[in-house]
Amino acid sequence: MRSRKYRLQGAGLDLALPYLMLAPGLLIVLGVLVYPLWDGLRASTKAYRYGSVVADVGMQNYIKLWSDPQFLNALWVTIEFVALSVTFEAILGFALALFCLREFRGIRLLRTILIIPMVITPVVVAIVFRLIYASDAGMLTAISEWTGGGQVQILGSPVKAFFGLVVLDVWEWTPLMFLILLAGLQSLPHEPFEAARVDGAGNWRVFADLTFPMMRPVLAIAIVLRTIDAFGTFDQVFVLTRGGPGEATRLVSIYGYDTAFKFQQTGYAAALFVTIGLVVLALAFSAVRLLRRVDAS
Amino acid sequence: MNSHLTRIGVMSAVLAIVLLPIYWLVSTSLKSNREITQEGTLYPHVPTLDNYVKLFTQKQFGAYLTNSLVVTFFSVAIALVAGAMGAYAIARFRLPFAMERKIGLFLLTLRIVPPVVILIPVYLLMLKLGLLDSWVGLIATYTAFNITFCVWMMESFFREIPVDLEEAAMVDGDSRFGAFRRITLPLAAPGLAATAIFAVLVTFNEFLFALALTATPRAMTMPRGTATLIGRIDTDWASMSAAGVIGALPIVFFALLVQRHLVRGLTMGAVK
Repeated sequence: MRSRKYRLQGAGLDLALPYLMLAPGLLIVLGVLVYPLWDGLRASTKAYRYGSVVADVGMQNYIKLWSDPQFLNALWVTIEFVALSVTFEAILGFALALFCLREFRGIRLLRTILIIPMVITPVVVAIVFRLIYASDAGMLTAISEWTGGGQVQILGSPVKAFFGLVVLDVWEWTPLMFLILLAGLQSLPHEPFEAARVDGAGNWRVFADLTFPMMRPVLAIAIVLRTIDAFGTFDQVFVLTRGGPGEATRLVSIYGYDTAFKFQQTGYAAALFVTIGLVVLALAFSAVRLLRRVDAS
Repeated sequence: MNSHLTRIGVMSAVLAIVLLPIYWLVSTSLKSNREITQEGTLYPHVPTLDNYVKLFTQKQFGAYLTNSLVVTFFSVAIALVAGAMGAYAIARFRLPFAMERKIGLFLLTLRIVPPVVILIPVYLLMLKLGLLDSWVGLIATYTAFNITFCVWMMESFFREIPVDLEEAAMVDGDSRFGAFRRITLPLAAPGLAATAIFAVLVTFNEFLFALALTATPRAMTMPRGTATLIGRIDTDWASMSAAGVIGALPIVFFALLVQRHLVRGLTMGAVK
């Protein structure tokens, strides 16, 4: 196989072909992503005032982060948000995938409908949930008044607003978990399950001894993908609560955005984002390691 | 019989949870502001299309829609061409120092980093180049993001196509690039379509960079324009819900049309 590929490479202009084919894409990525990344690293070591550099501060911005109560709070809120949302999504998605494993009428309709939440523009998802939570025009208030209750307040209270955000994320992304896990379940071999049934194993035994262990790698991938994605959540919060009330839903992405564009502390914000990038990359790489070990055993 | 009932129960619960919020959005968009806040009706008693008309006559939604379509079309098209060539090179050629594998891994790493991380430097770059609030600035940014996952997705599609077909074409006198263009590319068409569809979805829905890089209807995209509406008039629920419907309609329609190709992109090839 290897020698055949070399033979294919030919001579003359064909020798330069791989470079010519890689060049356009690489140039765009280098110009628009990599150069800014480098620029961001440089900016993170500077102090800005009103959008222009005033001093070289070295690692000061990075050190300051870890004693900034607002950053620490944002980091903690983000971790809580990601952990809660992804856990609910994994459990609900897995349950729904198991439920849909046996083909039955209506499953195609269900899959079609479940695509909707994750393709709707995130900004619009946030609008949908503002319309549900609003105390005057909200769906919850309308239902409550219809059944004889009073106004429902969600976005005004820190705890309720936070859980309101988690519910939004679960609504939007459980379908993705469901699709990944359903595909995983459908690709499992049939034989072990038939053998277990012949041996008289009940539903719970089959799940605990066969389905769950065999699904672990897929489940892990799905959770990692969602976790990485959820860490960067911005749009939904920006429109739903803008980080409030107080700092109850202020994720690191929102805090970083405000630091950069509202408070014009460009250097400090750059350091914040570099830190977040490193955290996510570390998360991804350790997840890949973990997956390899699961695969090997 | 019992399990049949459970099935119907779970199905209806799921459908209700997914569809009720959407019903509420659409139904609110057909009410007047007075009906929304004062009467709290469960469905529009006096349905009206006023909210939609207002978006286009008073709120520049025509411009937002045009901007979105132009920016999405160009950034996806450029990324597909550049990405397909790059992906093919990575899938087929063996370069010195395993360079092609390193490039592939590098692009994947860039894909994992949350976009918000490079928001500030990209903003500064566009500021320096005078490309803030322009189509070109948005197209350049989105093209670059699209390339990172186009290369990665399409590489796996090219790998699935046997090399023998290209060899045969080259024996028949085709050049290497000719074999790629005439043989491999058409065979990879379903994969290219899946990639394009996913790219369209992500690009059309993007908000963060549109928020930072655009400021006027000259370049604002649909999500960006919708968000502006909310910032200014906090309680104009009627306009807000109509904007939500208009913002989501094209992409939901598109997604339902091509749903078969969509799942692979959404699950990022986690399961084949």
